[in-house]
Amino acid sequence: MSGTITIFRREFAAYFNSPIAYIFIIAFLVLNTGLFMTGFFLAGNADLRSFFGNLPIFLIFFIPAVSMRLWAEDKRLGTFELLMTLPLKASQVMLGKYFAALAFYLVALAGTLPLPIMIATLGNPDMGALWSGYFGSALLGALYLGIGTFTSGLMRDQISAVILGIMACFMIFVVGIPGVAATVDGWLPGFGSFLQNYVGLSSHFEMMLRGVVSLGDLTYFLGMTALFLTLNALWLEGRKY
Amino acid sequence: MIEVRGITKSFGTMLALDDVSFGIGRGEILGFLGPNGAGKSTTMKIITTFLAPDSGSVTVDGIDVLEKPLDVRGKIGYLPENVPLYLDMNVHEYLTFVGRARGLEGVALRDRLDWCVEACGLVTEYMKNIGELSKGFRQRTGLAQALIHDPEILILDEPTSGLDPLQIIGIRDLIKSLAGSKTIIFSTHILQEVAPVTDRVVIINEGRIIADGKVDSLSREAMGGVRLYVGLSQDSETVESSLRSLAEVSEVKPLPVENGCRFELLGPFTTDLTRSVVDLARNQGWDLTELHEAPFNLEETFISLTKRADDGRKGVA
Repeated sequence: MSGTITIFRREFAAYFNSPIAYIFIIAFLVLNTGLFMTGFFLAGNADLRSFFGNLPIFLIFFIPAVSMRLWAEDKRLGTFELLMTLPLKASQVMLGKYFAALAFYLVALAGTLPLPIMIATLGNPDMGALWSGYFGSALLGALYLGIGTFTSGLMRDQISAVILGIMACFMIFVVGIPGVAATVDGWLPGFGSFLQNYVGLSSHFEMMLRGVVSLGDLTYFLGMTALFLTLNALWLEGRKY
Repeated sequence: MIEVRGITKSFGTMLALDDVSFGIGRGEILGFLGPNGAGKSTTMKIITTFLAPDSGSVTVDGIDVLEKPLDVRGKIGYLPENVPLYLDMNVHEYLTFVGRARGLEGVALRDRLDWCVEACGLVTEYMKNIGELSKGFRQRTGLAQALIHDPEILILDEPTSGLDPLQIIGIRDLIKSLAGSKTIIFSTHILQEVAPVTDRVVIINEGRIIADGKVDSLSREAMGGVRLYVGLSQDSETVESSLRSLAEVSEVKPLPVENGCRFELLGPFTTDLTRSVVDLARNQGWDLTELHEAPFNLEETFISLTKRADDGRKGVA
């Protein structure tokens, strides 16, 4: 546990040791709140649905850029060998890194909190849907980060890591779209709906935006995240042979 | 302390280590020699549990590296060939990070930080960003990292590579000062670096151990004998032929000299060549100005050993 915390502290500080962190956060806030505010006064609805609705697509690009350095950077610097010869389990090191990236994402997400405050001042929003929307966004980021951490481990350089991460996140997103599922069902009956329900994230995320947090959706997000982190840990162990 | 038994490791189709075995006792310093790409780093990576061997076993203080890798890692301080440094941290932050990750905290951590910074000569650089440090200081920071938890065993992969002569002496002195209290394996492809630090060497070439022992005996064995330098104040035609007439002498090589004459003699190391030359000089009434056995240096030994190993393999094929 203390080993994981040590790694977490180092990795979290590493984000803020370079200007990239600030650029990331500013880009995240400007693009997301900017997009939201453009439509906000036209629509005149006191909710954040369009803001949350954009996140699954926006994060496909943002999250792999956050996670790309997690392993690829260590391989470039040679510190990978240091980390893997510390008296810590590979999974402890991995969790330290993963939670540092997650904390960084949550800092960026927390930067959008003035939006619900503004909406609560201007209108009478459904606070339940607002909070479940934030909760869902945190889970969405956690899942993408799990994928991004895994792809960063597979690659030696950050550019390959980010591209592979974007493709993997895109796949998880795209198979959840009803139109895509219907097309796949046309080729292989049942397979498209299976992917949509058990692999794709759209339906699970949608429910959270409506203010419904069900055990099934929670299991989906946490289970998928755990799956990719387990794959990462297995890869770290298997690498020795 | 460390037992390496018949380890083999291949990367794809390339056989990096082929049945490598050696051992090292507690408190011993071992120079691990070999040309670039011979398998030194791979062996060290296996001992430090970074890689697993395809076959064979390694135990560190009786603990198997595959069964309990975390226990093994706790005992070892490791400086990899590519010094593992976070360039965005300063020396203090970096050493604190490694210390904490190795389970040190509070006063114990502070004491070790003070000791390492002092011992590795990092006092002036302590608050500088590692990215701004020169190659020499980076190497020392890497060494400090390996020492932070006061390990019983130090594994140093090319600790002096890329350093200037003064820095090399500094690192060498540091290793020597740790002798006795720690078990140390250090690798190098520069042969002169070994002799000042230790007399026990293991030589590896193309993934095989070709020699293991004390430098002196290895040299004698490799060169097949001893080498003697003989100097005389007078010059005479008869001297060379007299020397040649000695039964033990296999080769006499005249050497250029201003006054008198000087020869290099080779003979099998089982005979007392010096004694024979002294007797001969007494009988002939020579005035000896020089007579000493010159050990073969590591280069000569190394070249001879690698050549022999190559010939051996070709013979088998």
